[in-house]
Amino acid sequence: MKKKALSLLLVGAMAATMMTGCGSSDSTSTDAAAETTETAEEAPAEETTAEEAPAEEAASGDQTLTVWCWDPAFNLNAMYEAEKVYQQDHPDFKLNVVETPWEDIQTKLTTAAASGDLSTLPDIFLMQDNAFQKNVISYPDAFTDLTNSGIDYSQFAAGKAAYSVVDGKNYGVPFDNGAVIGCYRTDVLEQAGLTVDDFTDITWDQYIENGKKVLEATGKPLISMQAGECDLIMMMLQSAGSSLFNEDGTANIVNNETLKVVMETYKELKDSGVLVEVNSWDEYVGSFVSGDVAGTVNGCWIMASIQTAEDQAGNWAITNMPSLVGVDNATNYSNNGGSSWAVTSNCKNTELAFDFLASTFAGSTELYDNILPSGALATWAPAGGSDAYGVGNDFFGGDAVSAKIVDYSTKVPSNITGVYYYEARDAVATAITNYINGSDVETELKTAEDTVNFNMGM
Amino acid sequence: MTKGKKIAMYTFLSIVSFISVFPLYWMVCAATNKSADVVSGRLIPGTYFLENWKALMVSQDVMGSLANSFKYAIALTLLSLVVSSLAGYGFEIYHDKAKDFVMSIILLAMMVPFVATMIPLFQMFSKAGWLNSTIGFILPTISTPFLIMMFRQSARSFPHDIMEAARIDGLSEIRIFFQMFIPTMRSTYAAAMTITFMNAWNSYLWPKVIMSDTKSQTMPMVVANLTQGYVTDYGVLMLAVLICTLPTAIVFFCLQNAFAEGITGAVK
Amino acid sequence: MSKSSKKMTLNKKHNMTGWIFLAPGALLIFFMSFVPMGKALMLSFKTGVGAAMKSCGLMNYTRMFQDTVFVQSIKNTFFYLIIQVPIMLILALILASILNNKDLKFKGVFRTMIFLPCATSLVAYAVIFRSLFANNGIINWILVNIGILDQPYSFLTNTWSARIVIIIALLWRWTGYNMVFYLAGLQNIEYSIYEAAKIDGASAIQSFFKITVPLLKPTILLTAIMSTNGTLQLFDESVNLTDGGPANASITMSHYIYNMSFKYVPNFGYAAAMSFLILILVAILAFLQMKVGDKRD
Repeated sequence: MKKKALSLLLVGAMAATMMTGCGSSDSTSTDAAAETTETAEEAPAEETTAEEAPAEEAASGDQTLTVWCWDPAFNLNAMYEAEKVYQQDHPDFKLNVVETPWEDIQTKLTTAAASGDLSTLPDIFLMQDNAFQKNVISYPDAFTDLTNSGIDYSQFAAGKAAYSVVDGKNYGVPFDNGAVIGCYRTDVLEQAGLTVDDFTDITWDQYIENGKKVLEATGKPLISMQAGECDLIMMMLQSAGSSLFNEDGTANIVNNETLKVVMETYKELKDSGVLVEVNSWDEYVGSFVSGDVAGTVNGCWIMASIQTAEDQAGNWAITNMPSLVGVDNATNYSNNGGSSWAVTSNCKNTELAFDFLASTFAGSTELYDNILPSGALATWAPAGGSDAYGVGNDFFGGDAVSAKIVDYSTKVPSNITGVYYYEARDAVATAITNYINGSDVETELKTAEDTVNFNMGM
Repeated sequence: MTKGKKIAMYTFLSIVSFISVFPLYWMVCAATNKSADVVSGRLIPGTYFLENWKALMVSQDVMGSLANSFKYAIALTLLSLVVSSLAGYGFEIYHDKAKDFVMSIILLAMMVPFVATMIPLFQMFSKAGWLNSTIGFILPTISTPFLIMMFRQSARSFPHDIMEAARIDGLSEIRIFFQMFIPTMRSTYAAAMTITFMNAWNSYLWPKVIMSDTKSQTMPMVVANLTQGYVTDYGVLMLAVLICTLPTAIVFFCLQNAFAEGITGAVK
Repeated sequence: MSKSSKKMTLNKKHNMTGWIFLAPGALLIFFMSFVPMGKALMLSFKTGVGAAMKSCGLMNYTRMFQDTVFVQSIKNTFFYLIIQVPIMLILALILASILNNKDLKFKGVFRTMIFLPCATSLVAYAVIFRSLFANNGIINWILVNIGILDQPYSFLTNTWSARIVIIIALLWRWTGYNMVFYLAGLQNIEYSIYEAAKIDGASAIQSFFKITVPLLKPTILLTAIMSTNGTLQLFDESVNLTDGGPANASITMSHYIYNMSFKYVPNFGYAAAMSFLILILVAILAFLQMKVGDKRD
């Protein structure tokens, strides 16, 4: 009752301000006072438009799903293609895709969940894998459990599917692939007497040796990385199946021998000049697009940025990433980035949403073939066997890169993101920055773990 | 003014203007270049404008977003000018201890970061049923401590003898506000209009949180959408940014004479 | 006797009129700001992950001073405040008084150019500044070519240069904005005062300090309070230019509060408590500024 009175009061205030507001549209004219009375009737008009919007939403039929995702060329395109595939058997089906940047999805999800009104959420949205466990654990009420939704999770790469699992339950449908690849400018390597084979199945020690040769012959570093970000650190860490957290959720930083090796390897890369740090993401992309740097190591989606350098077509090759030295379980495979589809608890027609996802992203090779040209690679194993994945890519010297990457993604060791992933990541980024600037690795890791423990201890 | 002083003055202004405008020049260049050239630091205008334009129009609803942005920005600007200037006038012209105190309390309202009050505000609006509505979009920013204080400060230079004369002539208080104050304070209104329009035009976080459908997308949201891909097309991005910047620049250019050229023909 | 009582009622009437005039604006601020603020204040005495919160007394308020990152962010923010705000306001005041000169040509063009930076959308501004200060950016190119530097300097990844870039960016973006208020304020000063001063033999600098500054005092107070508030809540530059780096050397309080609400595991109670620290800090500074500047003569 009280709340109603409040909103009434506000509407009253609003209407009052509207009246005066419309009246003085030309506030510099001297007879504005006379106008105020005339335009009083305009106020209700404004209010009706205000009420229209929610009504429209409710009017949407049973066969429509609303989806939030970002990146038109990639994620939105994939959803539209999925809509087409699903419409073949369900002609009444419709998708309402709302382009929403990831940060905004996070903000809207947080705001809606924290204020207890989930009605603004769509049926399905895309979520960064790194944020998946954090959000499901913080707002369990906002998500729908997909474990028994008819989706066959055994067909997804294990490391990828693990991102959206909480307490043994699946909350996401894995989508785009973040398998790590090493990318190299073959023409630059050639000047140093090297080929891409010299970078396949190697260790970071060998990488640095080769990198020095390239640096000597051409003056170009092999790799650039954004300073203060720890993408490469995390990739290296996961390549040996190590995480910043233990199974029980406690921080695994100070006593993490793998992390220590990773930090030392990174510093060695930087000190040798084989790796050059840049200020920002734009500069990172610029460094290889302009040819200043002879390669990179990143999630396979980086290929899309590499291919914007049309003049370098045919001069690029991809292979797996280097492995850590002196670490148990070291592999040449890792993951960086990627995202998965989540179904919200606001989804009215969960049957439809389950069936849609199960028969498209978890059940249609046709879909994956159709979205391949946009660079979207599957983590759904059956898709990798399709003919489209075996076609060579001229930009990368005619190599069948898609099939290669799908193969890599099945070999990625899984890791624990944990709830406090972003806190830990930022703490480690601070540690690596200070370590490079001359601080001692033990001290920095201690500080990082303290910071993470501080954040967890609330 | 001596000649030397004049030269010094123009030189100073030219340097400041150059520094101010250079990044915008960069933006215009970027909008006419290919993405790969932009990240490689090309600083001369290119020939890729049409391609960027087409790519932008295909991927985003620029016209619809511009229309929305104009709709919200204009409504918000007009409403806030009236509400805030009336309040600022009330605070200053009829000032007493109590009103000065209320003014300083009102100032507190702007001192808490919006991220802290956003969730409670969202809660209130969700209970009032104002999510996804125009009213929800504009209501929180109609009255701002900043504008109220701005009008309060400038009302200080509103000559009291004019007011007294008008009262003796039998003008009501509200007519004094509309017929004397507003015309006299033209320059303040013009400046406030520029700033309010700009803030309304660029507002992002709240609109994004409260509006969920594509139909209510504004221009800054278009720009944000373009930065989200695995690949950012910097040429297209900068073109969108250019389109997003122009309206504020035009509003400024049109209104600047009103606030910087003194009062012509005002009641004095 | 009767005259004075009439005056009393008139005063009362005017007093009432004043309240009516300021009511719509004040009520809107009450509902749109103070009600949510009250809720946030209550939240600041609670702790917990996401929506599950429990009471914790003053724990959040004591906790923030043990939080090394937050303490770092307070230091950073005050560094920006102390260096940037005075430079910006003085520069804006100088520019405004030059551009108020009646004899100056192309005033409109100069004014628009100096205002343009703050009209630029944040995205462009961030991309542009990052590219200007990139290793292969134009600033490094100039410094290397005129021989000041031997090799490119990584501005955004070194502690002090990152902070200075943020200050430069703030100056670039907001000086023209503040200039607008001064220009508008200057229009309320009779130009003839300047002419009279000139005839009396006052130099430009003398009339600046003797006429412009005192008469613009209300506006200067306004901009000082607004800039103080804006800087203590600084967010955009820290997020978009340096992402708080290197190693939190440039992170601001608002940036950290945002992370605590949306990037990290959400801890709204703690975020609210930190927000109220900002309120207290700004309020103290604004109070001091009002004490000095808000006197009616």
